[in-house]
Parts: sequence; C-alpha cells; structure tokens
Amino acid sequence: MYRSPPGARGFLIAIGLLGGALLVSALVGLLTFWGLQAAFPRPIDESYPGYLILIFATLVLIPILYWLGRRVPYLTDWYYLLPAITFLLAFTLFPIILTVYYGFTNYTGIRNGKPDRSTETEVVRVEDRQLFVDGNARELLRCDQPDCAGQALEITTRTQRARVTAEQASEGRITLTTPPPFTPTLVYKINDFKYVGFQNFVQIFSQASTVLFPVFIWNLIFAAGAVFVGAIPGLILGLMLNNKNLAFRGFYRTALIISWAIPVVISVQIFTAMLNVQFGPINRLLGLLGSYPIPWLTDPEWFKMSALLISLWLGFPYWMTATLGALSTISDDVYEAAKIDGANGFQTLTGITLPLLRQPFIPLLLGSFAFNFNNFGLIYLMGVQPGVEGRPSTAQAADILITWAYKTAFQADGGQAYGLGGAISILIFFLTVAISLINFRFTGALKEVR
Amino acid sequence: MMTIPRYLGWAVFGLMVAWVLFVYFPSLLSRIQPNTPPGFVRIENGWVYALSGLLVVIGLILLYSWLVTLISNRRAGRKRSFLPLFGQGLTHLFMFMVLVFAYYPVLQILAASFDPRNTLYRILPPASDNLLVRARVIPDFSQLSWENYAKLFDGFVLYPYQAVLLGIAALSLVVVLILGAYRRIIGDDQSNSPWAQVQGRSLTVFAIVSFVLVIFLSPSQFTGQGTEAKFVLWVRNTLFVSGITGILAVLLTATAGYAFARFSFPGRYSMLLVFIFIQMFPGFLGLVATYILISNLGLLNTFTGLVLAYSGGIISFGTWVYKGFLESISKSLEEAALIDGASKWQAFTLILIPLSAPMFVFIFLLQFVGTYSEFIVANLFLTGVDSWTVGMGLRNFTTGQFSTRWGLFAAAAVLGSLPILLTFYGFQRYFVSGYTAGSVKE
Repeated sequence: MYRSPPGARGFLIAIGLLGGALLVSALVGLLTFWGLQAAFPRPIDESYPGYLILIFATLVLIPILYWLGRRVPYLTDWYYLLPAITFLLAFTLFPIILTVYYGFTNYTGIRNGKPDRSTETEVVRVEDRQLFVDGNARELLRCDQPDCAGQALEITTRTQRARVTAEQASEGRITLTTPPPFTPTLVYKINDFKYVGFQNFVQIFSQASTVLFPVFIWNLIFAAGAVFVGAIPGLILGLMLNNKNLAFRGFYRTALIISWAIPVVISVQIFTAMLNVQFGPINRLLGLLGSYPIPWLTDPEWFKMSALLISLWLGFPYWMTATLGALSTISDDVYEAAKIDGANGFQTLTGITLPLLRQPFIPLLLGSFAFNFNNFGLIYLMGVQPGVEGRPSTAQAADILITWAYKTAFQADGGQAYGLGGAISILIFFLTVAISLINFRFTGALKEVR
Repeated sequence: MMTIPRYLGWAVFGLMVAWVLFVYFPSLLSRIQPNTPPGFVRIENGWVYALSGLLVVIGLILLYSWLVTLISNRRAGRKRSFLPLFGQGLTHLFMFMVLVFAYYPVLQILAASFDPRNTLYRILPPASDNLLVRARVIPDFSQLSWENYAKLFDGFVLYPYQAVLLGIAALSLVVVLILGAYRRIIGDDQSNSPWAQVQGRSLTVFAIVSFVLVIFLSPSQFTGQGTEAKFVLWVRNTLFVSGITGILAVLLTATAGYAFARFSFPGRYSMLLVFIFIQMFPGFLGLVATYILISNLGLLNTFTGLVLAYSGGIISFGTWVYKGFLESISKSLEEAALIDGASKWQAFTLILIPLSAPMFVFIFLLQFVGTYSEFIVANLFLTGVDSWTVGMGLRNFTTGQFSTRWGLFAAAAVLGSLPILLTFYGFQRYFVSGYTAGSVKE
C-alpha cells in the first residue's frame, strides 16, 4: 500500500497538487472558452453560455487527476474529498469571499459594476483614442465627474465588448486613455463601485445604540426564548408520553409531529393570517374568554410575542421526539432500582430522569440556539412589521441580525446596499463562530475528532 | 478559572423572571386597546365559564376513575388507589388540548381551502346558532365547495399515458401505505420479511414512475388563465429541483464522509475544521455573489443554476453526519476485504454503500425537505410563472392581493404540503435515527 508523507508536508503537497490541478484545468477551460469566442464570434446578446467553461475544465481535469493518481498514489485518498471540496469552493467559499470583499465596498443595486443600459450612446466615428458621438457626451453618459475624467465605460460591437476608461469627454467627443481594441458601435457608462475601507462598519457602529445593539439583544432573547418555549413543552410532553401504560401513546406521538412536518413557508403564513387583529381566529377565541383584540402583528412588543408563539408551535414536536429518543436509551434497571429503594415518582423524575437527560440535551439545546439565532425564515415570513421610531425600515421591531442584513442588501427601501449587507454578514459570521465555539467547548465535539 | 457561585446564577435568573412577570407583561397588557371592532364577539369574564367547564370535565374524570376503580376493586376483592387512572384521564385531557393547539391552524387552513368566500376578512359574522361559529372560532362549514381546488387545476391537460402512470403511482403508494399499516399491526419489523420486500418494491415503482411523471410534464399542458392554474407545474418544478438537489447532496457527501471516517491522511483534522467553519457563514447572505457567479455561467432562470446554488448548503453537515454514521460501523468487514486485495473504492462501494442506505435516505430527505420549502433563493434565480416553485407561488398569493386570494392560498397550501407530509410520516424513522446516529454520540 501507499503511504503519504507525514505531517504538514504531506498536507501541503496534497493541497498544492490538487489546487494546481484545479487551477490548471480552470485556466485551460477559460482559455478554450475565450478561444472559441475569438475563433467563432457570436452576437453578444446570444453569446456562448458560461457553463461551457465548467465543461471544458472538467474534460481537462479528469485526465490530469488520472495521471496524478498514477504518479502520486497517496493523492487518491484526497480524490474522495474532491467533489465536496470543489462544490464548497465554487458555491460556498467563493461567494463568502466575494461577500466579505463587498463588505468593504460601496456596492449597491445601482453601483453594481455593470453597464448602465439607459446611457446607451451610439458611436458615429472613431479616430485613434477618440470616439465621436451625436450630442453632448457628458449628458448622454451622465458621468459622475463633470468632464468624465477616469469614468469606466463599456464599448461594444455586435459580437465584441470591452471595458475602457475615459480621459475626458466634451461636446460630441469622448477621449479614452488607450485606443479601443476594436471599432465600437455603442458606448455605455459603467456604474462602478469602489473600495471604501471600513466605512460600512463605521456606519453600523455609529448607529449602534439605535440599531445594532437593540437588534442584537433581541436576537439573543429570541434565540434563547425560541429554544425555551419549544424545549419545555416538548420535554413535558415527552415525559408524559414515555409512560408505557398510557393508552394511544403511539397515536399521540405520531399525531403531534404535524407542525414539524408542514413546510415552514406554509405554516408561518397561516399563523400570520390567524394572528390578524380584527379577523384572526386566535383573537376571536380570546374574545370569547373576555379579552379585547390583542395587537399581535401591529404592536412592536406583541409582534415579538407572536414570533415566540409561532416558535412554540413549530418547535415542540422536535423536542418531544428528542426527549423520547433520549429516554429510550435509559435502561429500565435504573428505574427498578429506584423503585426498590422506595423512591416516589417525583424523586425518580428529579433524581434520575432529568439528570440523565442533561447529557444528550446540551448539544441539542446549543444547536437549536444556533439555528434560531439565524432563523431567517420565521421572522421574514411573518411579513411587514410594525415600525419602531428612530430605526430604519430594514431593522424593525422583531428583526434579527440576519433579516436586517437581508433587507439591507435586497430590499428597495434598504437601497439594495449589498456592501452594507455584506458588512453585517461579516458581523453575523463572527457572532455565529463565537456561539459555535462555546458549543464545541461544552460538547467537546472537536476533541473527539482528533 | 473563576467559578461563578451557583446562587448568583439563580439570583440573576430570578430577577429576570421577576422583571418579565411584573414589568414586561403589565406593559404588554397595557398595549391592548379596550375596544371591539365590528363583528367581534366578546364575552365579559368568559374565561370564568371556560375554567368552570374545564373543572367540570376534570370532576367527571375524577368521578369516572373513582367509580371504575371501586367496581373493579369490589369484583377482585382488592384495594387499589384510583389515582393512577385519574392521572391517565388527566393526561388524556391534556393531550387532547395539545392536539387542539397543534391542529387548530390545520383546521383553519382546511376550512378556508373549501370555502369559496373569503372567510378570513369578512366582517359580517356567519349566520349560525352556534356561538363558536358566529364568533368564527370554529370555521363555518356550511358552504363547502371544491372551487378553490378547481381553480388550481383549471385548464390542466393530462395526456392519457400520464394518467396511466399517475394511476400506477397512486396504486403503488396505496400499497406501500396499506402494507406499512398492516406490518405495524402484526408487529412485523424485520426488513427482509416477504411483506417488507413487496413494500420496498412498490416504493421503488412509485419513485420511478413519479420521476418519469415529473420529467415529462411540460408547461404546454397548462392552458388555464391566471397564475394559479400553473400550480401543478410549480409542484413539478419544486419536486424536480428538490429531488436533484437531494441526490446531489448524497453524491457529494458520501465519498467525503467515507474519507474522513476511514482514512488518516495528514490534514484530515484541519479539513474537518474548514468544513465546520464554512458552514457557519450565513449561507444565503452570499446570495449576491452566488447570483453573479450563476449569471456569469449563463445559468440564470434554469433549474441547473438553482440546484448548483443550493448544492453548497448541506455539504458540511451531511459530511459530518455521514462520517459519524460510518464511525459507528465496525471496520472489520472492510479490513477483511482490503486484506483479500480489494481496493478502497471497492470496499466503499461494495461493503459500505449497501449498509449506508438509511443515512443516504436521511441526507436526501433533509435536503429534499429543506429545498422544498425554500423560496428566497428561488425567487432570485427564477423568473416567469412557468418556472416558479411552490414556495414562490404561495408567497405570491399572500403578498399584494392577500385578501382576495386567501382561499387559493389555502387550497395550494393543503396540496403543496402533502408531498412533504407524506415523506415525513413515511420516513419518520429515518429522520429520528439520522439525527441521533450522526450528531448525538456518547
């Protein structure tokens, strides 16, 4: 059998070889793609699809890997990881890195680095570095600078496109910094974004007392509360259903899972309808009991209560099942012994059952906390939230960090500020890592791997 | 390390509870406006009646258990306490109340789906003698109709061969369900009994036929007016995307989990850490970047692009779970095979894969169910009614013209949650065992 070089050296060699193979094949794929474009040009509206790069790269990668496997046999161990690693790199790690980068830029829905189609201007004539247009170039292109100095532009023909920089523009003429690589027919302004350093973070922390801190504190309360309201009823139900003398035990157990089995996208929307102040059945029921209509979804504080109520409904089946699963691992002998020693039901519960449940419950509790900390679906699907004075529309009463980030980045009223959203995402990432580290510390998950 | 005294923790906890009880809750209550909107039925001190009713029921249970124990004690000539029976009665009462709580939304949505009027936002109370119906606590079942469902299927053309396939699929599903119930009754829980084999084969037939149906359903079969008439197409799109994503998840995680569980190459530990920490980044906040990537690949508004965007999500978790599962399987079988000259790949495909079926089912289902109810990413990547998913369609019913489409939302929600409900109840065992096998270990 083959043997890998030990320690960091073996690791680095393997990573280097694999990374090299991936890089080479990606490059070859890209070059083939460009070659294809150059050799057989197609109109830019229906140009070659980009996934051809992936296909070319895969076609190159397979022989390289085969050859490498022959030469360096221990590398074949890594081949088992390759599919997962490739997908992680492409569709998880790459977007993460890009998002982190955006966190340091002023990227928005408008400043997105794409040509602005509304500034399409026809090029009449080209002379060396100068493009001649019909009309005032500054007005047609709507440059950021008055004389368009340094403005990024896109020039196109029917089959080609390129990115150029303007030196200056005047009536009927645009001067570029370098001669265009081909004779363009159209020119557009590119809405470029730029690196702004820590400006997004400064913005977040400068309004920390009105947005970041309240949202973060509510985020913690919500995550802890959601775990609490799910776990306690689930635990009680599990303990009750663990009684082997109870009739219909299996029926209750199966029937009560319902809220776990309904897709969240459906159940949360049903709940928001049911919690309607005037027409919702829940207020109607409470009205029969003597209550006035409760502003579940129109009052900021009650909105938070609604979020917890929905968490209760969604969460208890999971905890019931978890309790039953954990209880089934406790052997009957323990209970027999307790009975012989004359322990009553309550003593058995507090002396045996609950302490034995502690061990399996800690990782579940922490995992559930981490899940609810970023429980986007619930908060987002609850819909429009009541406003809180002094807070932006992206961070209302029950918004948690992740919905705040999402609304900042994707909603029109947040200005589609991807850069700012990226900065918030970085903060969430660090908080999640901190929570998970505590989680690992308690559960010892990392020690076990070693 | 300094240890915090135990009582301090309890004191802080007590203070928090006291604050919630004596400061927060009163402030919450003070936010309720004391007025009743039109059509709102309010009964002063209604809770007193409800509580008395509950006490009467508890009294009846007490009386019943006392009498039954008395009679059986007389007959058998022994002395037993009636308390256990009473306790059971109370438990059943409690369970009944929990069932009502759990199924109340289901009842409401079912009722709304069969009601052609918009019961949710009508001010006039339904004419009924029952106070609960008049207050609209219990939905008004007086006017049932299939109208909402009919709208979802409006103009849907089913080709004859598809009808036949649908029949086969339904038949095999019924066989699976009946056999499942029958096996539970006779207590047959062996996986190689003849009935289990028939059940397994029917499930395979169902899976294959459904797959063919999903693949060959085309948008041209939907001729109805209005977006809601494409509902079946949305279900088909969702099943397609979720199914492919689930299969991809299994393919990607299986070999990685095997390598982590069985090989001891240098860098294994660091790679495992990388897998964990990548998972901690809130995935869909990379959406802009993913969107740019997919758009550069020319895969926007295609299911391939959507599947690729979803594919990163479960890799870390699935790998960890599968690794945990493999570590709980003894190595002796593979080692014997390796000594006999099998390669690692052979040991994996011939020995471990057949043993891992439950775990693969778990990973598949987890990704399938997760993708099925996802709509944010889908909303960004797919445009045009023809390629919507169920989640997007449902969201479309509720946002904007909510009041006019509530009935349609209800019908679509009922039908749309059926696949997941069936999957969940059918494979309940795998969900429970999957979570325990992978994550909870002694």
